Amino acid sequence: MSNNASINGGVGSGISHDSTKKHANGTAVYVDDIRVPENALHLYAFPSPHAHAEITAMDLSEVESADGVALVLTADDITGMNDVSPTHSGDDPLLADGKVMFQGQAIFAVAADSLNQARAAAQLAKISFKPLPAILSINEALAQDSFVFTPQVMAQGDAEGELKNAKNTLSGKLNIGGQDHFYLEGQASLVIPQEDGDVLVHCSTQHPSEVQTHVAQVLGVERNAVTVEVRRMGGGFGGKETQASPWAALAAMTAQKTGRPAKMRLVRDDDMIMTGKRHPFQISYEVGFDDAGIVTALDMTLVSDCGHSLDLSRAINDRALFHADNCYYIPNMRVTGLKCRTNKVSNTAFRGFGAPQGMMAIEEVMDQVAQKLGKDPLAVRQANLYNASNNTTHYGMVVEDNVAPEIIAQLKTASNYDKRRAEIEEFNANNEFVKKGIALTPLKFGISFTTKFLNQAGALIHIYADGSVQLNHGGTEMGQGLFTKVAQIVANTLNIDLEHIKITATNTGKVPNTSPTAASSGTDMNGMAAKLAAEKLIDRLRQFAIEHYGVAEGDVKFLPNRVKVGKQTFSFKEFVNAAYMERIQLSATGFYATPKINFDPETGKGRPFLYFSYGASVSEVEVDTLTGEAEVVRVDILHDVGRSLNPTIDLGQIEGGFIQGVGWLTNEELFWNDDGALATHAPSTYKIPTMGDRPDIFNITLFDNENMEDTVYKSKAVGEPPFMLAISTYRAIWQVTKGNLDAPATPEAILKACGEPS
Amino acid sequence: MYKFNFASPATIDDAAAQFEASDDATYISGGMTLVPTLKQRLAMPSDVIDLSKIASLKGISLDGDMVKIGAMTTHAQIASDGLVVANIPALAELAGGIGDASVRNRGTIGGSLANSDPAADYPAAVLALGAEIHTNKRTIAAADYFVELFETALDEGEIITSISFPVCKVANYQKFSNPASRYAIAGVFIAKTSAGVRVAVTGAGPYAFRQNEMEAALDGDFSAKSIDGITVSDDGLNEDIHASASYRANLIKVLAIRAVEAIS
Ligand SMILES: Cc1cc2nc3c(=O)[nH]c(=O)nc-3n(C[C@H](O)[C@H](O)[C@H](O)COP(=O)(O)OP(=O)(O)OC[C@H]3O[C@@H](n4cnc5c(N)ncnc54)[C@H](O)[C@@H]3O)c2cc1C
Repeated sequence: MSNNASINGGVGSGISHDSTKKHANGTAVYVDDIRVPENALHLYAFPSPHAHAEITAMDLSEVESADGVALVLTADDITGMNDVSPTHSGDDPLLADGKVMFQGQAIFAVAADSLNQARAAAQLAKISFKPLPAILSINEALAQDSFVFTPQVMAQGDAEGELKNAKNTLSGKLNIGGQDHFYLEGQASLVIPQEDGDVLVHCSTQHPSEVQTHVAQVLGVERNAVTVEVRRMGGGFGGKETQASPWAALAAMTAQKTGRPAKMRLVRDDDMIMTGKRHPFQISYEVGFDDAGIVTALDMTLVSDCGHSLDLSRAINDRALFHADNCYYIPNMRVTGLKCRTNKVSNTAFRGFGAPQGMMAIEEVMDQVAQKLGKDPLAVRQANLYNASNNTTHYGMVVEDNVAPEIIAQLKTASNYDKRRAEIEEFNANNEFVKKGIALTPLKFGISFTTKFLNQAGALIHIYADGSVQLNHGGTEMGQGLFTKVAQIVANTLNIDLEHIKITATNTGKVPNTSPTAASSGTDMNGMAAKLAAEKLIDRLRQFAIEHYGVAEGDVKFLPNRVKVGKQTFSFKEFVNAAYMERIQLSATGFYATPKINFDPETGKGRPFLYFSYGASVSEVEVDTLTGEAEVVRVDILHDVGRSLNPTIDLGQIEGGFIQGVGWLTNEELFWNDDGALATHAPSTYKIPTMGDRPDIFNITLFDNENMEDTVYKSKAVGEPPFMLAISTYRAIWQVTKGNLDAPATPEAILKACGEPS
Repeated sequence: MYKFNFASPATIDDAAAQFEASDDATYISGGMTLVPTLKQRLAMPSDVIDLSKIASLKGISLDGDMVKIGAMTTHAQIASDGLVVANIPALAELAGGIGDASVRNRGTIGGSLANSDPAADYPAAVLALGAEIHTNKRTIAAADYFVELFETALDEGEIITSISFPVCKVANYQKFSNPASRYAIAGVFIAKTSAGVRVAVTGAGPYAFRQNEMEAALDGDFSAKSIDGITVSDDGLNEDIHASASYRANLIKVLAIRAVEAIS
């Protein structure tokens, strides 16, 4: 396969995901596919039937004596800390201790020879509750000042004063629903006990180091006694960033206490009931604008339902605030974020991490302003874009890499926006009940964790004496193609074919203290760490050549799959073997810490992001105004991934992100009963988009750009941003309904909005 | 799953006798509804009696001006059966729109009618066409069959053996599917029968019912216009996680108009 001209599978080649074939033929191993040793135990956690209650008595004797039961775990059995909160806020007990805070909270766990035995045994528990008043909505939380954290304000200029001076003003509200992650593979952990009470944890998690931390904390051991490994997840979407730990910790406790392997996999209903989701938000705003539609002042409040504990809600709400400007310069702007504590499952990270809700808010404002002035909504958006002179955000960061105006202009032309808008107006004039809508929305998404210390990554590369390479890093693979991209980066840096690079499972024993694979930063950070490790190896090999063959530095050339030293040419394999024989170290670590970033929550100012990713989409929808049914008939997307590391994978991320976003904004409706129980906890009642929901006309193009910042091969992050491309679909539906359209825009919500005076 | 006795009798009489003889028995046809109920322990019968080995519950035949469909006939068979397609095309189409392929391949018309889910499709056809439900004891007229939410005129242990539908070539069924399950949030079956126009509604109320006001209007003038002015009240309609009563009331009219337009 070696080729003298160029390597196979280097950076920029659109090769398919490393596991594509294995996914299709069923040989890709997920946690539940790992063959369990014969004596393994299976766990079931008993979910609270109350949203808020005191546990007054608990008799588990019948559970303990039930068939096949080896162990019953309660809060009292925890030798370490009864807490799995990701930010050490101490409000996420592993098992309820005296009180329950939401329906579905784990009260005790049963380990039995089979999952069915464990589930059946759990039903024998006798627990008495004293129900307490529960807070089940944002409004109830606001009325009772129930918050998980203090408010955050970000502001520039004088929003209050300039609202008074504004030529025109408007105020409004918007309700935005949550979303279940609905990863195909549910939460799962398998723990194999090791010598000395140590544990090996196979876990479906985006954050192996946090699982390691929590398991160690719960067991009361040092982290060096816990090894977490994850080869791949069947989807994560943020739902396995903090939500994977409890099940790993329960299985680890079982393994530690019984000396038997222990597995915990949540069945779908329990997974949906017991794990956190995307935050629902309530938006209210007052906007001032001139007759041209330029927004001069904006005062906006974003209130979220965080559920019963803090989890990552602080950072998620901050990210909502950071994106409440989207691509628009608003000189006098104040955004306030309120984080409500309710008696519901604790909401958590989900693709976009608050940004989608922030962007939904400002895009609502743009359309309302255009509507009020009778202007083309796109013209109003364009008039408000950041530009060379107006480029400071409300949190003080200067937008230096702004390509939104170009993206919008290109997409507008490519999608024939003006012509189609005119045609749609004519269609609507001639059709009484079926109406069409079209909308173009841009996006600007900040890349970096806003929690600064998380912006670090490590990699470990071994070259074996036969020239083959083993690659490991702290990032996790959840189907997004990270492993493939990082391998391409290493292939490029070492200048050898991709097939010599062996991808290996993420393991806390190989690369320690890693950050979650989240914030879209997986490739940026782990790819850079791997590149730095590979460069170290190249430097060492070059030094070896200079010394061993007595040549000048310039006489050592790493060509595709071979090395030229003076007049001699070696295959990479021969060269590596020669280095090995001369006792050269062929293993290296790489470490990357994102530069330039800072943010001060006290002042609400700083540079939280290294750079921004951009994109825009145009959606055309057809709405039956008699039933509220909406169909997305055509979508055009132009998206910025900098220099693409792999266009095939990037297009897949854009397509998938868009469709997942459309699901959030149209079909996926979480319904909670009056007593705080989630009624939509299975695919029979909760509808995610499928292949059939892909628009018939779906054009996706990568914007020709390169990252201004010094990122890995000038690429940009792609994981989350495309999710927000779906906002154009929602806005296109709004073009038909006008009025107050709650998200998700289900047929019933659409019909309701259609019936309202606009 | 928990332990229960399982039997596959070969005749209707054996099945009924076994039902009589056990403490707490239930029949199983396609199992599409029953098995999830057992799994969730919403019902825990001591005996499950399988009807699938009884030959006389199977088959579709033309009996004078009636199409007779055995209770064990699956939705998929009804959807594709030549006799049904030729004589009551709207019924074949209705069956083809139930759930998904696996539900259609296992679920049966007898099971669906015995279960009488408020969101099931067949009840609308049964009422609109004036079908007869034959059991091992008697024949029940459509109008007498649906009694309450999940409750029918069937006695304890009574077995549906077949359903006879009058031939009707001018009919149409429109449903608004739940996007997740494909069950009807509302469904309207309109038929031009020898006794006049029939409009039957499923999904919207606790059980299927006829919309008399629309029937009268369409008897006078079979056009969308003639029902356009009718206001459908949301009184007594279902209000649940899928839709509000007023949304269902709106759907009834929209679907009725669609059905009339499809026929005209
Ligand atoms: C995912 C899903 C989607 C669905 N979507 C739809 C839909 O869109 N529209 C729709 O109409 N239905 C839908 N259904 C229901 C489906 O049509 C079921 O098949 C039907 O309700 C029950 O038929 P069955 O043969 O499976 O009955 P079973 O589950 O075997 O039995 C149901 C009940 O009927 C009793 N019973 C069965 N046969 C007889 C008989 N001959 N005499 C007396 N009692 C009997 C049983 O004792 C049991 O109580 C859906 C089901 C699922 C699982």
